[in-house]
Amino acid sequence: MSATQVRVRPVVGPRVSGRTAGRRRAWWPYLFVLPAVAALGFGFVLPLLTVLRNSLYAGSVYQLEWVGLGNFSALFADDTFRTALANNLRLLLTVPLMTALALLVAVVLNDGIRGWRVYRTVTFLPYILPAVGIGVSFSVFLQLNGGLNGSLRAVGLDALARDWLGSPHWAIWSVAGVVVWQQLGFGVVLFLAALLSLPGEVTEAARVDGARWWTLQTRIHLPQIRGTIEFFVVTEAITVLSWVFAYVYVLTAGGPAHSSTVLEFYIWENGFAHGNVGLASAAAVVVLALAAILIAVYLRVRVRAANERAA
Amino acid sequence: MRRSRWPRIVLTAAVAAVSVVLAGCTAASPAGSGSGGAGDDAEHASLTYWYWAESDAPGANDWMKGRIAAYQGKHPGVTIKLVPQATDTLIGAFTTAAQSKSGPDIATQWATLPVLSQVWGGAVAPISDYLPDSERKNWIGTQENTYQGKVWGMPIYLIGIPLAYNKSLLARAGVAAPPTTFAELLRACAALRKVGVTPIGGGNKDGYFGAWFFSNFGKQNLDSVGDLQQAVIGTTDIRDPKVTGFYEPLHQLHANKCFNDDIASLSLDDGMSKFAGGQAAMAWGTDGIVAKWARTLGPEKIGVVRTPTWGTGKLASVYNTTQSSTAFITSWSAHKKAAAQFLGWLHDPANLTSWYEATGIFPADTRFDQATITSELGRSLWELTSSPGSVWLENYLPPAVDGDGDLAAGQVITSGGSVADAVAAFAKATEKWRGQNPAEVKNYTTWSGR
Repeated sequence: MSATQVRVRPVVGPRVSGRTAGRRRAWWPYLFVLPAVAALGFGFVLPLLTVLRNSLYAGSVYQLEWVGLGNFSALFADDTFRTALANNLRLLLTVPLMTALALLVAVVLNDGIRGWRVYRTVTFLPYILPAVGIGVSFSVFLQLNGGLNGSLRAVGLDALARDWLGSPHWAIWSVAGVVVWQQLGFGVVLFLAALLSLPGEVTEAARVDGARWWTLQTRIHLPQIRGTIEFFVVTEAITVLSWVFAYVYVLTAGGPAHSSTVLEFYIWENGFAHGNVGLASAAAVVVLALAAILIAVYLRVRVRAANERAA
Repeated sequence: MRRSRWPRIVLTAAVAAVSVVLAGCTAASPAGSGSGGAGDDAEHASLTYWYWAESDAPGANDWMKGRIAAYQGKHPGVTIKLVPQATDTLIGAFTTAAQSKSGPDIATQWATLPVLSQVWGGAVAPISDYLPDSERKNWIGTQENTYQGKVWGMPIYLIGIPLAYNKSLLARAGVAAPPTTFAELLRACAALRKVGVTPIGGGNKDGYFGAWFFSNFGKQNLDSVGDLQQAVIGTTDIRDPKVTGFYEPLHQLHANKCFNDDIASLSLDDGMSKFAGGQAAMAWGTDGIVAKWARTLGPEKIGVVRTPTWGTGKLASVYNTTQSSTAFITSWSAHKKAAAQFLGWLHDPANLTSWYEATGIFPADTRFDQATITSELGRSLWELTSSPGSVWLENYLPPAVDGDGDLAAGQVITSGGSVADAVAAFAKATEKWRGQNPAEVKNYTTWSGR
């Protein structure tokens, strides 16, 4: 070794090899995300695993017995579950109705009619009211001798009066009507906000080219808010699938004779009122699967739309 | 390196999570009644009482608040937090609490099977272990909650469900005497309809009117509650008219317009209130509700009779009485002695009197001073409610069958369905219970053969 040669010790930190340091650095990001992962684990994954596990057992919480997939076959053999599933599908029919009505109102308000802000507020009001309050009010209004039938009879439309909540044929449609009434405002505000944010130049150019009102809406405005419409449709589909418990509970309690029950109510009734934890968990798994399908459809639609725009 | 290790970490965490879940679920097995522990001092305790009675006995909540205040005054080391419970969630809320062995020291469930289901789950401490026989022998209705030689809960009151009638409305229709047979009831309905009066006020949107009908008429073809129990466990056919034939009279009453036309869209309470408003000539109500009606309409205008006879079984002639709700000590309470002492004190003669004065409902205790009953109506109610051999049939249905079958089947009829559909709904609910609750079925079978 010459005098000019100096042995330089690599700077790697005090007595730590490069490999160990790399490993320590690699752990830092995980430490930062650990609280969030733990919260998700305890708040979401753990309950989910519990539900999945319970769906394979029968009995009450005290004495569970392994039945494998028996609960799922019992579910589909249960008339009440099939009614609940059919009712949720019936409620899905309200989604296109809600979407069409909300679009119609939003388009009219977007034309800047006099007092449109007031109309927007009035339309939105039901959306911010608590579901239980709405349910209680409508359960009085829709009685056989309640406000709705009273009004119909007063104007000579007795033939249209029905036992809206007491008839197995009408109860679920009464629930559907209340849901539409309450959710409509959300759609109107959402669509109106989207329409108001559209660039005015495009509309002006279309007008110059001779586009009339209908053409303007169907060819210019609505295609531009397609993403918002898709979002609303999927959100409402999930809402009527898994967020209508309060309406059913207060309006009809699932009756008469289970005719207006829905999946959520079925889960509650079996899990909490009757102690059939396994059956309730199996029904919850079915709801989860249905919601996952809807979300997957939504994501696929979004990806396809993004690809089309990119192309 | 990181890429290869991370999946393993996730897998380990997932396995750990699943293990925790499985361990937690396994721990939710039946527990014994246990003991109050070393700190179980009757004079030093903080108790939580989940209480339900107001629906049966209007005025019950205020009475209990007053009694708790009085007890805390006499026992300064004891505090009692009263938590009134809702009817719809009475069973579910307690079952959830029992799962984690936390919540009340004293709880309320409806008598017999709702209580015994919790006993079988290990959530109840037998009150007979904490209060002497000299005290318990005065309670009425302990047989409703006796299992394996122990009394598991304490009755506070008795309710009977008479058929109340409005004397002036019956007179207006030319009905000289209240109906005592089903044929007379149908005739009275027709006469009342002719003069434009609703014969019977009721509401079945919540299913409870149908459940009362089950207890009032369902027992009338039975010779004992054992006939029902055998059908519930499947030894005999529940479709047998002996057990479910009572839907026929319900259907006849509905078809003959004996009920208010909106019975299917009103709750039980709203339907019954038609009687209090003078809009219906008859209604079934608890003793306490009848007493409330008497305050509104005037006691001289109301009469009571037992449910008209329809069936031919030995139980056709017995009255419908139950303690309805039962107070019990939870197995996890650290203050069982304090809880038992408080519950026993509620049967103090002064408290029995104040209960009757506050609610118009009779206390479930032989020490009740009958001289307190001053009205003619009150004496009529007492005569019915205290009649021997009374049975409340709904108590003998597993809660799941009651909720899923009994309530729904009654709704089938009141919303215009057929007897066959109602019977089918009841039978399906029973089969579902047997399939879903193997352990409870075993316990029920053992108990029914007691």
